[in-house]
Amino acid sequence: MAVQVEHLWKTFPIPHERRTTLFENLVGMMRPNHYETFTVLKDVSFEVEEGECIGIIGDNGSGKSTLLKIIANILRPTKGAVRVRGKMTPFLELGVGFQPDLTVRENVGVYATVMGLSRKKIREITDDVIKFAGLEKFEDTKLKNLSSGMQVRLAFSTAIQTEPDVLLVDEVLAVGDMEFQQKCFDVFNRYRKEGVTILFVSHDLGAVRRFCDRTLLLGAGEQRAFGETGKVLDRYVYGRSESGNSSDDSNKGQCGSNRWGNKKVIITDVEFLDKFGIKCTRFSSMDPMTVRIHYHAVEDISDITFGIAIHSDDGHHLFGTNTKIKNIPLRVLSGDGCIDLKIEHIPMLSGKFLLSPAAQSLDYQITYDWIDKQYSFEVIPTSGDAGLIAMSCGWVT
Amino acid sequence: MLTSSHLQELWSYRDLIIRLAWSDFKLRYKSSALGFFWSLLDPLLMLLVLYVVFTNLMRIQVEHYQLFLLLGIILWNFLDRGTSMSTWSIIGKPGLVQKVYFPRDILVISTCITALMMTALEFVVFVIFMAVFRVMPGMTIVYFPILFMFEFLIILGLSMALSALNVYFRDVQFIWRLIVQVGFFATPILYPLTIFPEKIRWIVMLNPMAQIITMMRDCTLYRSSPEPSNLAYVAVSTLVVILLGYFIFDRLEPKFAEAI
Repeated sequence: MAVQVEHLWKTFPIPHERRTTLFENLVGMMRPNHYETFTVLKDVSFEVEEGECIGIIGDNGSGKSTLLKIIANILRPTKGAVRVRGKMTPFLELGVGFQPDLTVRENVGVYATVMGLSRKKIREITDDVIKFAGLEKFEDTKLKNLSSGMQVRLAFSTAIQTEPDVLLVDEVLAVGDMEFQQKCFDVFNRYRKEGVTILFVSHDLGAVRRFCDRTLLLGAGEQRAFGETGKVLDRYVYGRSESGNSSDDSNKGQCGSNRWGNKKVIITDVEFLDKFGIKCTRFSSMDPMTVRIHYHAVEDISDITFGIAIHSDDGHHLFGTNTKIKNIPLRVLSGDGCIDLKIEHIPMLSGKFLLSPAAQSLDYQITYDWIDKQYSFEVIPTSGDAGLIAMSCGWVT
Repeated sequence: MLTSSHLQELWSYRDLIIRLAWSDFKLRYKSSALGFFWSLLDPLLMLLVLYVVFTNLMRIQVEHYQLFLLLGIILWNFLDRGTSMSTWSIIGKPGLVQKVYFPRDILVISTCITALMMTALEFVVFVIFMAVFRVMPGMTIVYFPILFMFEFLIILGLSMALSALNVYFRDVQFIWRLIVQVGFFATPILYPLTIFPEKIRWIVMLNPMAQIITMMRDCTLYRSSPEPSNLAYVAVSTLVVILLGYFIFDRLEPKFAEAI
């Protein structure tokens, strides 16, 4: 067992009045200070085997970072216990202890020492670190004169020299460009191969899916799920359709210039259904999706085609289709009904997408109802591929 | 608490302690062209003013008064500097407290060592002065490092308590400054103990700093060994200060990262 977390609770007191001086405390002795407590972690328990890579996911404020800080021994638990075997290195922030007024070389020394490297080892690696960061020319420049990108590179190339048994990573990868992120992933892969136990907090579900053997899902401080990464991610992505749809409803209200047509047929609602047939607005890339259009025909009508258009968040028209193009004959419509569009694999990689449903006559001369870009869904990447669209492909060598 | 396992842990972090102390020391002198000469100017100026005032106006009759005064000022400065810098040793480094873990007393210890390095520079000046005034220390100089170590430990003990208290009560640093200023005049630094009537001398000597400064002068300038009873008193009070400092620090330490 590399890491063991047992019935962990963490509460923060939130005083109504924050007293930071002795004077305030003396004056305040007459009036008792009332506290409210905010529970960040509620009874979290899990065990991590040696060499495992564990993802920790959840919404903002679900207690991920607090959990990591408790494991790192920076915060102390209110109740419960944490046991870590072996040497632990936290990557909670890059460049901890950097001094802007010291030179690049001196800062490598300071930071490497903070990260727990021995003096001998530091002497060996300093040149390599500076070279790896591409800062040979700036060895004796004060750190404050480097760009922030250079500083991050320096911090990163120093940090990866550590040889931990247990590595704690908190969103470090969120900073930096694509190339930098790729470098990070390469390093984590190396650590994994070396059998380092990794606990990895991230919002990047694609990265979690690729790296983590098991995943812990936190929600409002509670342990919602812990297990095989694929299942836990599904639970996270699809497990909150209720909350997802409420925002969708609010979108729909605002019509005005975004909606036109003679209202002989009214599109009453559009639903997005996941692979389990459950309403939701977040989908994993390449997963199936069904778009269900609910309509109400005010009078019997046969001259009709239903269609949709999909736009990216920044307004590019990505795709459009309708029943006429697909040669789907529609029977005479009357009253309420619905029609489904089945998408086998969502061909987008990540982002928010806008959907416009429409009902028009077959010659497109009459628009019954057109709701422009008022429905939206999100796509979450499942792989490390880059770009807007997902392409199923494979390398052949 | 100061258990042997904690001391072992500190020993394993010795590289970090030294590195933090040394980089802090360098930082203090880096920004000015004249470097550490500026910091020597401060005690020398003070020495000059006090020497003029006390020899001419107050008519103090002490053998080697210049050296007597300079040693007192340097030793008191060490306490002043060490403890004042330490009030910031925790709250001045939020990154190191909130983003990584190592025993937090390392921050205080390394700050005290930085102060020690600065004081060592001042001692260089003191040695030059001794040579100029042709005062040679005798065998009694062996007590010097022992007494100096006691002073360091007292400073460390005080710093432990002050750094921790200052996290929660940010005015502790100002209150402490007042105490240090009063202490400067209440301790025999400018004057010899003999200006007090015999009956109340023991009250002044309750202050371990008064004991240390007096004994260090005796062994450095006047070739006389400290009384074993005084030495024992200093040893015991050092122990009390450092244990009390660690006790307060350990009580407050768990919530540093939240309160900072």
